[in-house]
Amino acid sequence: MNRFAKFTITCYLAMGSGLALADQYALVSNDVQPLSNKVCATCHGANGQGNAVVGGPSLAGLEPWYVRNQLLSFRANYRGGQGSYIPAFEMQDSVAELSDSEIDELVAYISTWPALDTPATFTGDMSHGSELYASCAACHGIDAEGNAALNAPALATRDDWYMLRQLKLFKSGFRGGHPDDAIGAQMQAAVSVLETEQDMVDVVAYIKSMN
Amino acid sequence: MADRIHPTRSSNTKGKNRKVTRRELLTYLAATGSSATVLQASAALGLVPDTTVDIPQIPRVDPVNRPSVVVLGAGIAGLTAAYELDKAGYDCVILEAAPKAGGRCLTVRSGDVIDEVGNPQRCEFDDEDHLYFNAGPARLPSTHRNMLHYCKELGVELEIFINENKEAYVQDDAMLGGKPLKNKLFTTNARGFMAEIMAKNFEPKQLDVAFDDWEAESLIGAIRSFGDLSEDDLYKGSFRAGYLKGGYLEHGVQEDVVAFKELLKSSFMRSVLNANEGETGPVLFQPVGGMDKIVDGFVRQLNNKIYYSVAVTSVETTGDGVAVAYEHNGMKYMLQADYCFNCIPTHLMTGISNNFSPSYREAMAYVRRGEAYKSAFQTKTRFWEKDDIYGGISWTNQPIRQIWYPPHGMFKQKGIILSAYNFGGGMHFTKLSQEQRLETAIEQGEKIHPDYRQQVEKGITIAWHRMNHMLGCSARWQRNRSGMTAEEERLFNRIREPEGNRHYMIGDQVTLHSAWQESAVLSAHWAINDMVKRNSGGSSMPGRRIS
Repeated sequence: MNRFAKFTITCYLAMGSGLALADQYALVSNDVQPLSNKVCATCHGANGQGNAVVGGPSLAGLEPWYVRNQLLSFRANYRGGQGSYIPAFEMQDSVAELSDSEIDELVAYISTWPALDTPATFTGDMSHGSELYASCAACHGIDAEGNAALNAPALATRDDWYMLRQLKLFKSGFRGGHPDDAIGAQMQAAVSVLETEQDMVDVVAYIKSMN
Repeated sequence: MADRIHPTRSSNTKGKNRKVTRRELLTYLAATGSSATVLQASAALGLVPDTTVDIPQIPRVDPVNRPSVVVLGAGIAGLTAAYELDKAGYDCVILEAAPKAGGRCLTVRSGDVIDEVGNPQRCEFDDEDHLYFNAGPARLPSTHRNMLHYCKELGVELEIFINENKEAYVQDDAMLGGKPLKNKLFTTNARGFMAEIMAKNFEPKQLDVAFDDWEAESLIGAIRSFGDLSEDDLYKGSFRAGYLKGGYLEHGVQEDVVAFKELLKSSFMRSVLNANEGETGPVLFQPVGGMDKIVDGFVRQLNNKIYYSVAVTSVETTGDGVAVAYEHNGMKYMLQADYCFNCIPTHLMTGISNNFSPSYREAMAYVRRGEAYKSAFQTKTRFWEKDDIYGGISWTNQPIRQIWYPPHGMFKQKGIILSAYNFGGGMHFTKLSQEQRLETAIEQGEKIHPDYRQQVEKGITIAWHRMNHMLGCSARWQRNRSGMTAEEERLFNRIREPEGNRHYMIGDQVTLHSAWQESAVLSAHWAINDMVKRNSGGSSMPGRRIS
């Protein structure tokens, strides 16, 4: 019995299996530097699980129509074009030059990630949150299941830190403030029922509790 | 006037016959604005620390049962770890996210791509050996003995890097109406006036315990020499600032004295005089042909062990090793090794699946991303050489902060100048479009060199906060300038310790001195030494002690 574990290499999807690493890859010359086609993973994680530290929300499990809407919104500068919130700015720049077919590919790719639960990172006043949510339910559904016809995504599995930040951005006019952003304007109007930051915390905590 | 700018001293002189301690004297000298004086004085008093070379002594492993090591990230820290462990017989592989090695040790040449998220650029410099831009580290201090050790061992040829150049400029909108001033004029006048103040206030009687007459005479002599004072201890200008004209075949005419009040308007009084001391003091080196020649040196030794364009998706400790899942070309792989040395930036590691303990994750999530920004231009001519500038740095209080002139390629037609180096709070440029970044650099450079706009071509920018696979420059542990808090010390000590005994975070991000390659190297050495120490168990038996 070896006292040292040797490398064991498993190949999930490769045509063959049990191939050594060296057989799989041709070493890339230092002279060749193709642009990365995996920019998304840098912030959103290789499986779309997100990374709060760099401000990248989880994408796994998002409705494809919602992903498309947001990519189009960033490309059209509805989102990420104003203010100085760096992650939105990075996102806007990342998709600014995408073609329609590239957006199609991305939407399809992101939809292959299995849905993930995101943990709650804060709590709030649930009964107050429940009261506030009553008006949200009109679009997002009584169980926060979403409603594609109203462009309202499902909420309960999303990152709470991200939802809270978006509520603040809607409230401040940073999101939904572009004159051509009809969908965003709808939500911006809706957040008027949330008067304080504590209101936002409570309603997001309640949304997470429905998960 | 002296008292107004010497609050420390005026408060010290309340008791007329109070003795001045060594510490107070150093504080007093520091208050005059020149740490050069303090450094000279403190060196004489034996207070300057030393550095050591610290190459790990790794026991060679059993060649039949070689322990396996997976290194995540082919930056300087990862390359160092793999290089040393490979030499000792460990079975190493390196997984690198980018299509090339080096991480932030990045040199940009003709045709290279800067893979900035949302702002990819291809470098349009002419294809010549001397036309390169060190977009990351660009200086090797002579005291960074471990880096120099590897340069020597890997056959990386070095040349002198010029950091300080008194012929370069100091420009501050608050001083002289924004007119740039040659560094030699700034420095000579500042020192002259400071020396005059020190000489006027010099009272040997106050120093009667710490200094005898001879020492006191020696000190006042140093002060006079420091400022090139006249015999009556006044500063009346100095030829150290150069000649207005003449000096060789005809009598020289001195440059006009710049009013001290004018110099005091500039915050550079607090930085230019000591900008070239400590780690950026002479002697500094650079590799001939670009900083990434060091990367090339490591890669030559490790070439068949580095796998590029690999996206790590999961890192889990397994009790007796570490399991790493990754993707490459759309396929997923799993790899198990005895040890993992990980230099993935902590802020990205928090977004990669793992089974780390909460305290380890907490420490990772605490570290803030650095924001450094650099840009460069190729120039049509080496216009600075007509202004007696060969290498060195011009300083400005505009957001570009610095202009660097290349210390190599003298007299050639073209050159690459660094047109901005915003080392903290670089978000000013990060937020701008590529066109705005370049235009801003030109507008600000024009305040120092009037024909700047006509001279520059082919600009390139790098905002490390947005660089793909990194999203940050040097890690920052401190939330404020007053030093690390006890909480920060706790988090720092935690992240340096291995997770599950087998997983080490490395890189300058887990040192107290980030932004230097020496720190990256020392982080790898620290982790290797810790691994050896933990696993030898004091036994001289072959293999790793398992119980």
